[in-house]
Amino acid sequence: MKAARETSGAFDIRLWSGGSGGTPVLYLHGFEQHPGAAPFLQRLAERHPVRAPEHPGYGSSSGFEHIDDIFDVTLHYRRLIESWNLGPVDVVGHSLGGMFAAELAAVAPHLVRRLVLVSPYGLWLDEAPMPDPFVMTPPVLAAAKWADPARASDETSAFDAAEGDSAATFRALNLAAATKFLWPIPDRGLQRRLQYVTAPTLVLRGEADGLFPAAYLNAWTSAVAGAKSLTIPGAGNLPMVEAEDSFITAVEGFLS
Amino acid sequence: MKFHWFAEATYPHLPKNFPDMGVSSWVTPPHSLGDPRKLGEMYKMFIRLMQQADRDGFDGLAVNEHHQTPFACTPSPNLLAASLAGTTENAAILIIGDSLALYNPPTRVAEEMAYMDCLSGGRLIAGFVFGTPMDSVFAYGIPPVELRDRFHEARKLILKAWSEPEPFAFNGKYTKLRYVNTWPRPVQKRPPIWVPGSGSLETWDLVIDEDYCYGHLSFSGLHSAKPMVQAYWDYVEKRGGNMNPHRMAFTQLVCCSETDAEAEAKYYDAVRYFYRNNTLDPGFTAPPGYTSVRSAQEMAKRMTSGGGLSPEDRARAQKGEMSFWEYDEKGYIIAGSPQRVRQRIRELATDLRIGQLIACLHMGDLSEEQASENTRLFGTQVIPHLRDLWADQPDHWTPEVSQQRIAAASARRLEPAQ
Repeated sequence: MKAARETSGAFDIRLWSGGSGGTPVLYLHGFEQHPGAAPFLQRLAERHPVRAPEHPGYGSSSGFEHIDDIFDVTLHYRRLIESWNLGPVDVVGHSLGGMFAAELAAVAPHLVRRLVLVSPYGLWLDEAPMPDPFVMTPPVLAAAKWADPARASDETSAFDAAEGDSAATFRALNLAAATKFLWPIPDRGLQRRLQYVTAPTLVLRGEADGLFPAAYLNAWTSAVAGAKSLTIPGAGNLPMVEAEDSFITAVEGFLS
Repeated sequence: MKFHWFAEATYPHLPKNFPDMGVSSWVTPPHSLGDPRKLGEMYKMFIRLMQQADRDGFDGLAVNEHHQTPFACTPSPNLLAASLAGTTENAAILIIGDSLALYNPPTRVAEEMAYMDCLSGGRLIAGFVFGTPMDSVFAYGIPPVELRDRFHEARKLILKAWSEPEPFAFNGKYTKLRYVNTWPRPVQKRPPIWVPGSGSLETWDLVIDEDYCYGHLSFSGLHSAKPMVQAYWDYVEKRGGNMNPHRMAFTQLVCCSETDAEAEAKYYDAVRYFYRNNTLDPGFTAPPGYTSVRSAQEMAKRMTSGGGLSPEDRARAQKGEMSFWEYDEKGYIIAGSPQRVRQRIRELATDLRIGQLIACLHMGDLSEEQASENTRLFGTQVIPHLRDLWADQPDHWTPEVSQQRIAAASARRLEPAQ
C-alpha cells in the first residue's frame, strides 16, 4: 500500500492504494482514524486493487469546511469513485466509514457492486442505545473496543509526525470531524434511505464489540433487502485487527 | 470600577455524602436528589437577595445559564432576570449569558432580551455565551464542531434583529426565517454586549474586533486566572485592541463579615459545599472539537509556562481539603472584614486589570441571612471605597441608565451624613 495525495474538487485528501486485478475495493475507515497501510489492507490488496481514502477533516485531508451534512460526504465519495474510471467498486466500510458506505450505496447504487459494513454507525434503536464513544475515558474506550485490550498495540494509524501535528492534535481533529455525523446521536436519517440499497450486503460484527450492540445486526439485515450478517469471534470493534484471518476469510468469501 | 451581584444558584440540600456517591453533578446527576418545593424556595431567596443588592448599591445583578446540574439551577437566565427587571430600580440586569447556539430560532434571544430592556427601562447587559461543554454539547446535543459557527450565526441574527429598520429575510446555515421583525426592540440603541470565555483565541479575537466586554468566569481566583488574564491583555495590546479595564469582567467568591474570625466561622462550610459538590465526570470536560486545535495548543503552552495553581492545589480545593484561609490565600475566595476584603479586591482588580467584578456573595448552602449580611457589608462598606479604581476610564459596557441611577442613589445616601 502506498500513500499519495489526491485532489477532488475542494477536497485534497490522502489516499492509500495498492494491489491489482478484479473489482476495486474502496475501504472507508472508522471514526477514530485512518489505519494507514494496515496489514489487513495489504491482505485485501493481494486479490484486489484497494483504495483507502482518508475522510475530509481527518489527518491532513482537507475540505471539512465544505461539508455541512452527510449528503456532502456522500457526493464527495461518489465523485471520487467516478474520477477513477474503474466502474463499480466493492465498498468495505467500518464504523463511521460504514455509515458513509451505506449512504453511498443508497445514493449511487450503480457505483457499488457489493457492500461490506463492519459495525457501522447510522441506525438507532431506542431499546438498545448506541454507546457514546465521545464520553468514554481512554480505558473505558479500550475496554469497549477490544476483546482483548492488550491487542490495542496492533492497531495501525495514518498518523505521520512528519506532517507536523502531534498525535494528540491528529486525534483531536479526527474526533472533532466525527462529531459532525455522530453527535449527539449517530442517526442522520439513513434508515429511510436504506430501501435504495441494491448491492448485496454483508454486515460484520466482532463478538465482543462494546461500541456496536449485537441488536443492530438484526436492524441492519431487516433494513437492507437481502443483507446477511456474520459475527466474528475473538474480536471487538476492530475485527480486521483482532481477528485478521477470520475477517479476510469473511470478506473474500463474500466478494468472490 | 463596577460591582455586580452574582450567585451560582447552587441547590443547597444535597446529601452530605454527595461527593462520595460517584455521580457527576453535571449532565447526569440523579434528579431524585432535588426537591422541587425546596428549589422554589431557593429561587425566591435569590430574587430577594438580588433585590436587596439593587438597594445596597450594586451596579448589576448577574444571572447565568446552566443545564442539568444542581451546581447552578438556572436553565434559563432570562426567567430570573425577568423577575428582577420589573422589581428593581437601579442595577443593570446582567445576563451573562444566553447560550446562543441553543436557542432555535435565536430571535427568541433578541425578543426576550428586548423585553427585559423595556421592562427595566434600559438596564440590560446582553451576555452571549458559548456554554460549557456540559451544557451546550452534552445536555443540549450540539455537535461541538458546530458550536462556534452556530453561535456566530445567531449573534449576527440577533444584532440585526435589534437594529434593522425594516422586516428582513435571514438565510443562515442553521436558521432560516422569511420574516424577521422583532417586537419589542430594546430601549438602548444597542445593549452592551459581554462575551465570557475560557481562553480560546477565537473568543479573544471576537471581543477585540467588536469591542465587547470579555469575561473570565472561573471560581478559582487570582492565582489560577493570572496566566490566562495576563495572556489576554498581552494579546489585546499586541492586536491594538481597547485596553480599557471596563472591558474585563471577573468572578470572585467573597465572604465578608464584621471580623476576619467571624468570616471563617460563618462561611467555611458553605465554601466547602460549593467546591466539594461540583463533581464532574471527566468524560464531560473536553469533547472533541469544542476547543480549536489552535486554542488548545495556546492553552497548553500557557499551562506549562508556569504560574497559576498546581494540579495538587486544584484537586485539594475541589475536595474541600483546604483550610478557610488557604482558600483565601490561593485566591479561591476573598474573605474577612470589609477592610480586608476591599484591600484584596483592590489588589486583584489592579493586578488583573479588571473593571467589572462579578462578586459571588452567595455560595453553596449559605443561609439567606448570611448572604444578606454579605451583600449589605459589600454594598455599603466595600464598593464605596473602591469607586476610585479606573475612574479615569469611561465605562461603555454598562447601561447609561444604571450608571446615572446608581450615582444618584449613592449621592442620596451620602447626603444625610454631610
